[in-house]
Amino acid sequence: MTLFSEEQRESVQTAFLDPQSLWNDLNHFYIREAWLLDDRRFREWFALFTEDMMYFMPRRKNVPVREAHREIPPIGTDLPYYEDDRKLMEVRLQRLESGMGWAEEPPSRTRHLVGNLVIETVGEDEVVAKTGFICYRSQLEVDQSIYAGSRTDVLRREDSEWRIAHRTIVLDANVILDKNISIFF
Amino acid sequence: MTITTTSTKKYKILDPETGALDPRIYSDETIYREEMEKVFGRSWLLIGHESLVPNPGDFFHTYMGEEPVILTRDRQGGLNAMLNVCRHRGARLTRTDDGNCASFMCVYHGWTYGLDGALEYVPGEEQAYDNKLDKTKLGLRRARVETYAGLIFATWAPDAPSLEDFLGDARWYLDTEYKRRPAGFIAYGPQKWIQPVNWKTSVDNCSDWYHVPTTHSSASNALARVMGATRYTHEWNWTVPAKHAFVNGHQIAVFETTGHEAPAEEVERLGEFRANNVAASASSIFPNTVLGMRLAIPRGPLQTEFWHFALVPADATEEEKRVLRMEHASQNGAAGTFEADDIDNWRQVSNSGATFIGAQQEQLLNMGLGNAGPHDVYPGMVTDRFVSEHNQRAFYLRYQEFMNAGSWADISLEPQTAVYEGTTAEM
Ligand code: FES
Ligand SMILES: [Fe+2]
Repeated sequence: MTLFSEEQRESVQTAFLDPQSLWNDLNHFYIREAWLLDDRRFREWFALFTEDMMYFMPRRKNVPVREAHREIPPIGTDLPYYEDDRKLMEVRLQRLESGMGWAEEPPSRTRHLVGNLVIETVGEDEVVAKTGFICYRSQLEVDQSIYAGSRTDVLRREDSEWRIAHRTIVLDANVILDKNISIFF
Repeated sequence: MTITTTSTKKYKILDPETGALDPRIYSDETIYREEMEKVFGRSWLLIGHESLVPNPGDFFHTYMGEEPVILTRDRQGGLNAMLNVCRHRGARLTRTDDGNCASFMCVYHGWTYGLDGALEYVPGEEQAYDNKLDKTKLGLRRARVETYAGLIFATWAPDAPSLEDFLGDARWYLDTEYKRRPAGFIAYGPQKWIQPVNWKTSVDNCSDWYHVPTTHSSASNALARVMGATRYTHEWNWTVPAKHAFVNGHQIAVFETTGHEAPAEEVERLGEFRANNVAASASSIFPNTVLGMRLAIPRGPLQTEFWHFALVPADATEEEKRVLRMEHASQNGAAGTFEADDIDNWRQVSNSGATFIGAQQEQLLNMGLGNAGPHDVYPGMVTDRFVSEHNQRAFYLRYQEFMNAGSWADISLEPQTAVYEGTTAEM
């Protein structure tokens, strides 16, 4: 897997941190994040993002193998499922907190399993981290759905804490088999 | 080979005097099967937008009801809608969502069709078929295609009226949105997802502003607080200067922008009155389109695949387009804060007649009975009350008319009386 071009790679600094301890740190970060989501502690989850955050989930199209570059329309070119800056995400959270966000009243039961972490460092305080996830959602009486996908995060260290500056969620689905996407990944 | 209508059953779905609606129209399997023929087999159906297939060779895979359809732009620049079913054994000719190509090769045995659906090549025409295959008679099944302001419609029915007559004077209103600016719109998307609802619920809901202060209070309040957006309260509903208009089963929310001074170019395009005073908003086009723009694609009585596009003015700056798309994704579509709260309502409405006792309880669409009629200025049937169930009644009566018709000869079209001022008067 390559997250960077050769050119970018040249500027990558890798010496500043012990790769194993960085991997441990970030793994812990993602495990904690998953528990925050599944325990519905959305404010604390939201606090993991930077001020200039972007939360992006593109469409995923059926295209021939040789046109693979068209499979996932890049940010700023298409109508994605999520393209939230901090304000738009704040709207979502206030909605959930209102007691009248009916899609989540009663709330979904989710289970996020996040793994397969790989990291490429960009600078001392910025890394790109990629994870795979499976998310099970159950709601009301018998509704259930399974989401699988990847997340590519630009993480930034602010006040010695890692924060998510840019998240791209790519689902392994074309037509989404869920009534609505009122949960987070 | 012709499969003809099997049922001449006459439905009484809605009582126009009382507004009582038979809830079995959502969940009954037999009714659903009949809809596929009598509504989706007959009506003009929105299948895409010109911006999805701008260049020769472009194609976009779409649906007309349940039928898979390839929409193409051919070498002459013409639009074609063809059933995506091979004339040999019925495999699909393309399995991708969109693209650009010179022809469609069936990956089962290799029959190859042109951009207009003509059968161009068959492997072993001589060796396997002894040159006895009449390729000219084996093109893909084509639908009629017509466009309005970049929106592409198709119908299977040879006896359907023109799209112009089908839309009727709904066009007088739609022009104020879709023809206001010369550059037109670009369609982004679609998002695609499947809801456990009957397709009709989401269309009739399009003009139901009564539900907004309750269903969408959380999204509306949060948007008002965070973004300074309008708060959709009951009070707003009762006092907003707006009407609803109904033509041929289509519905248009009409905001009266009295006092607005449109740019000279818009006045030239729409005439003074429409440019300054009329702004069409959320509209539904019979049977399964909500502008703009989304399709409710039937997938069984209690399943609907939604295709949600964002229509964005083509002459907006890149930054404006981006903001519009972000707001779109945030509020509507699969992850939309408004949309998410609709779905369980629609599902429960859809299911309400599926049980023995439930089927005995009619739904009540009597709000604002008697409040719609002809208007001096506005074409079609018009209701001054922004909140009413006239649209639901108009929609289900139109649906009933389609379900009870033997052919298009039995389906009425309202007389076109509107005067189309401005340079965009032509369809
Ligand atoms: S089914 Fe298409 S070539 Fe045989
Ligand atoms: Fe709604």
